[in-house]
Amino acid sequence: MNTQAKRLYLLLALIPLLFLAAACGGGSAPLPPPPPPAKFSNASLAGQYAFSMTGSELCAGVGSLFTRAGSFTADGHGNITTGLEDINVCTGTATLQFTGGKYSIDGDGRGTLQLTNSTGTTNYSIVLSSTTSGLVAQTDVNVTASGSFQRQNPAAFLNAAIAGGYVFDFLGVDVNGSTVSPASYVGRFDSDGRGGVTNGLFDSNIGGTPSGQQLFPGGAFCQLDTNGAGTTFGRGTANIAGQSFAFYVVDASRLKFNGIGFPSALVGDAFAQQNIAFTAASITGGFAFLIGGSSPSGAISTAGRFTADGAGSLSSVVLDENNSGTITLLPNGTVTGMYTVDDNQFGGGSVTWTDTKSGTFSFVFYLISSSQAVFQEIDSAIISDGTFSAQTTTPISSTALAGDYVLGWNGAGSAEEDYVGQASLSSSGGLTGMTDFNQFSTGRQFFNVLLNGNLSLGGDGTQANDFTANLQTNPAATFHFTTYVVNQNTLFLVGVDTDRVIAGPLVRQP
Amino acid sequence: MKIEMMMGCAALAGLMTLANTADAQERVSRASPRAAAYDANHEVVVQGTVLEYLENSTLPPIGTHVKVQTSSGTVDVHLGPSSYLHDSHFSFASGDSVRFVGAMSSVDKRPVLLARIAQKGGQAIAIRSTQGFLLATGATRSLSEKQRAQASQKVTPR
Repeated sequence: MNTQAKRLYLLLALIPLLFLAAACGGGSAPLPPPPPPAKFSNASLAGQYAFSMTGSELCAGVGSLFTRAGSFTADGHGNITTGLEDINVCTGTATLQFTGGKYSIDGDGRGTLQLTNSTGTTNYSIVLSSTTSGLVAQTDVNVTASGSFQRQNPAAFLNAAIAGGYVFDFLGVDVNGSTVSPASYVGRFDSDGRGGVTNGLFDSNIGGTPSGQQLFPGGAFCQLDTNGAGTTFGRGTANIAGQSFAFYVVDASRLKFNGIGFPSALVGDAFAQQNIAFTAASITGGFAFLIGGSSPSGAISTAGRFTADGAGSLSSVVLDENNSGTITLLPNGTVTGMYTVDDNQFGGGSVTWTDTKSGTFSFVFYLISSSQAVFQEIDSAIISDGTFSAQTTTPISSTALAGDYVLGWNGAGSAEEDYVGQASLSSSGGLTGMTDFNQFSTGRQFFNVLLNGNLSLGGDGTQANDFTANLQTNPAATFHFTTYVVNQNTLFLVGVDTDRVIAGPLVRQP
Repeated sequence: MKIEMMMGCAALAGLMTLANTADAQERVSRASPRAAAYDANHEVVVQGTVLEYLENSTLPPIGTHVKVQTSSGTVDVHLGPSSYLHDSHFSFASGDSVRFVGAMSSVDKRPVLLARIAQKGGQAIAIRSTQGFLLATGATRSLSEKQRAQASQKVTPR
């Protein structure tokens, strides 16, 4: 956020107070209530943070997918003191050390971040969902990207801490000779705490060809660096599902991966898997999901929900799919569904539902726990992945959802778009907030754009809910979303406009 | 009293059911059939004259569309993001003689050619991979060593 923009933000925030004072008339009017205390400041970003993101950059004059993951250290006073990142760009891969940088955090958790390495300085808009995590969008001209960051626990920067089962989800592109294909990998493995990997299973979907469940090829490992980068930044290298990665440790429960098997590029996270024997009974109740990726038509994103009976049957399937502007909604006809959980009890499984009018949707998943999984679509030449999460078992009301949220939306209109922001939901469903965003195709970066809108809950709130967001740009833009509520802290949003595919979460701030 | 309350609850439940049914009907009325996948085994060649070039068509799929007059009628051709065409210095104008290779798909009940190759005069550009996926952000992943070296000279900060 530049200084001028910050001033504009403060000015705009003050205008309602000035109007209030004017309306109240003479000197005896009561003083306006003080603004809410700032929840965040530069001190909120302190320590080491691991990040990962993917986006588009201009390369050889043409837009090109790239990925990055790394670690930066914030001093709590606006300075980046050190860090390291692995990038995978159109010219190759590199590991670059941060030599400096700056950041600034506003009271609502929004802020800016600059990271400097030997190639120059990159710029980001960020928003803190807490002091330990946040969302990020790159805001450079001709480079846009989005992702997340989490505070690292340096005590976990050793192989012994990386032990037990992990579930992963990687998305990117596979390059085989001159053939470039969108690619998704989901799966799980056991790390032995000494850098070794066993019980590796994965499902890939490369260019619309699902692999079916595969064993990891030989040579799998997941090991922290021994050259100092391991103990200093939590960096390691890995071979997972036959693919080469650099990774950064968040803590024992989460690793952030960046593919280094150039020219292919993959990025994603691995999550510690609950140590139980998974069965069909592990999936019981309502689940909301959000996935995104590519189809032959272009960008695609899908959000929805289903109910699992714990015995292999699904009901109450509802979804919104935006496939490059073609909106498919279920139920359209009558939907029947089923799921399986693998007999090996490692948590892999499949989901299929068929709508009598819209056809069959097929997925595979790997359970992180009985309440969360990574989720990959495998039908219709769609390469799309994400997550499903257990929904709240109680009805959701606007009052229960009232509060402050961070938003992180990404997708594509005429080209990639990445949004980060912060907004408040009122008890009547009204939305007010502010966002920064980067539209790659036009090289346009927007800061401190006012946002308002409305969440309209239907039924008990656990099904499809309408959500509208108005961006006070010039000209103004309105995004229509369908929202699936996971719980009082998380909502999944998928855009249902025909001129852009956009999706992402709202995550509650403290 | 108790019965009244139960009737009240039943009536409320009935109203909610009606509301949910209405919501569901409204959702279905907004829905489109699912877009068909790219059928690489049934590619076709479309040759003709550009009638209209729309960089940001209001019709899906999102992106650039060209309406082409062929000997057998007009064909809507989808070319993906306009930025890719711009960056590749490739453009179309009404009256251009053009040739496209791609696969027909049904999008919102309309036939659309998902173009894999676009040709105009002596120029040709790959729009999609052989599997039908847009190359807009992936094409530079398969640069030659020489092209990569050239691109390395003009990199932005990483």
